[in-house]
Amino acid sequence: MLDRRRALVAWSVGVAAYVLLIAAIFPSIESSKELDELVESYPEPLKELFGIGSGSLTSGPGYLDAELFSFMLPLFVLVLAIGAGARAVAGEEEAGRLELLLSYPVRRSRAVLAKAAGVAIEVAVLCVVMLVVLVLLDPVFGLDLAAGRLAAALGGLAAVGILYGWLALAVGAAVPSRTLALAMPASFAAAGYLIGGLHGLAGWLDPFRVLSAFWWVGSSPLQNGARVWGIAVVATAAVAVLAAAAVLVERRDLKVP
Amino acid sequence: MSKTYRGGVDALIDLDLDVLPGEVFGFLGPNGAGKSTTIRLLLDLIRPTAGSIALFGLDSRRDAVETRRRLGYLPGDLRLSDRLTAREQLDSLVRLRGSAAPLRESLCERLGVMLDRPIRELSRGNRQKIGIVQAFMHRPELAVLDEPTSGLDPLLQAEVRSLLRETAADGRTVFLSSHSLDEVQHTADRVGIIRAGRLIDVDRVETLRERALRHVSVTFAEPVDPDEFAALTGVRLEHVEGSSLRLSAAESAMDAVVKAAARHQVVDLVSAPADLEEIFLELYREADTAG
Repeated sequence: MLDRRRALVAWSVGVAAYVLLIAAIFPSIESSKELDELVESYPEPLKELFGIGSGSLTSGPGYLDAELFSFMLPLFVLVLAIGAGARAVAGEEEAGRLELLLSYPVRRSRAVLAKAAGVAIEVAVLCVVMLVVLVLLDPVFGLDLAAGRLAAALGGLAAVGILYGWLALAVGAAVPSRTLALAMPASFAAAGYLIGGLHGLAGWLDPFRVLSAFWWVGSSPLQNGARVWGIAVVATAAVAVLAAAAVLVERRDLKVP
Repeated sequence: MSKTYRGGVDALIDLDLDVLPGEVFGFLGPNGAGKSTTIRLLLDLIRPTAGSIALFGLDSRRDAVETRRRLGYLPGDLRLSDRLTAREQLDSLVRLRGSAAPLRESLCERLGVMLDRPIRELSRGNRQKIGIVQAFMHRPELAVLDEPTSGLDPLLQAEVRSLLRETAADGRTVFLSSHSLDEVQHTADRVGIIRAGRLIDVDRVETLRERALRHVSVTFAEPVDPDEFAALTGVRLEHVEGSSLRLSAAESAMDAVVKAAARHQVVDLVSAPADLEEIFLELYREADTAG
């Protein structure tokens, strides 16, 4: 846990620096109205995919939706969450450290729940850091953000991160393979991201949109507001995945390197 | 109890073993014989294909948390959190155990654990010390140790052996595995020998030693007929050179050997106990011919 804390601090600093960089560019974007005209000519689904939505790149929320919330922030959160989830059980098992842990008077399912709490805390800390950084930068660069929408946007991001992080943990709880624990949630997340962005463009994808956590929480959250009930659906799915992890981990032999 | 791994590898076949309270039990076998598999079954890290294990009268599977509370375990291939210091690692293990660790300080001092260096900078022996401390710190009723002295220098090996004896003298039980009989012969009360997943012998260490052959070297004043010795029961002639003979003899044959030698003029007679390692190898050979 202690070494995870150090890694999390490094992550938070890096992501905060990235957010600062993007926000600092905003004042120069704000004044270029040509950009809006260019974007206006894009087809609607493409704008959806890039997180531009119906708004404008020259407004603070529109700019941050496109530059941060449509891709980079979800990517940061997912890399952290899936990495932490895969490391928690499968990674520890492959490193041979799970053997000592499970020789202690701890039920396996409880160990998994404790690890899951760790993953959730890491994701939450990162999202809170982003929230604080954006709240602090808002007046500095004139981003003009609505606090409620910002909080909901990051809440949605945290829920998505926790879902895929716990999926990685659950795969590791069921099978002793870190590769699989990384690959499965990563491909689910990638597919979910594409479905969430493209289902409007490609009609045949539409029925699959319910499988995308990104679709549930909604796109362009700073302009449209995140769907709170969608966040609840994602959170419920995360809890179901975690329950499966707690059951599956009890059923198998520990693998030793 | 049996354990078959997926893919049909029979790691343990009908293992039946009782370890008594307050004894040091040495579990011996070559690498890959099933020692670690047995130990992991005890700890409910893996589950038996057939059979069951009782620890302190509790079921090792159903009551796993309770049994693990009462034992201490040292893995054969100890892996610790490399970025932590020994102190941080032990702190976190004490929290995990959730009970007092009254022996922690004294054990750290006794083994000379380097508490404040990151574990990744420690040698194998120094990591092993941390493993031993965590296995004993809560005064467990049973210590399960997979090759406890591996990586330790001879002085520390001796220290760990006395720790095991003290634990047994305190009425607590030690179950340790080793691939070397020599390593456990001064520590263990009884040993079990496992080979290719089968328990081939369980005996007191002294009994094993009694069964062991002596190496007898006799030098006579003048050459003698080696057949006089080779004909004795329980005696095997190993080497003849001039007026010197070297032979191996069971304890029961010693009287006959000495009496046969006494018919001639003896210059020198040396009898050395067989290395327990040889007994070990002998048992393997027996098991091979039997199987």
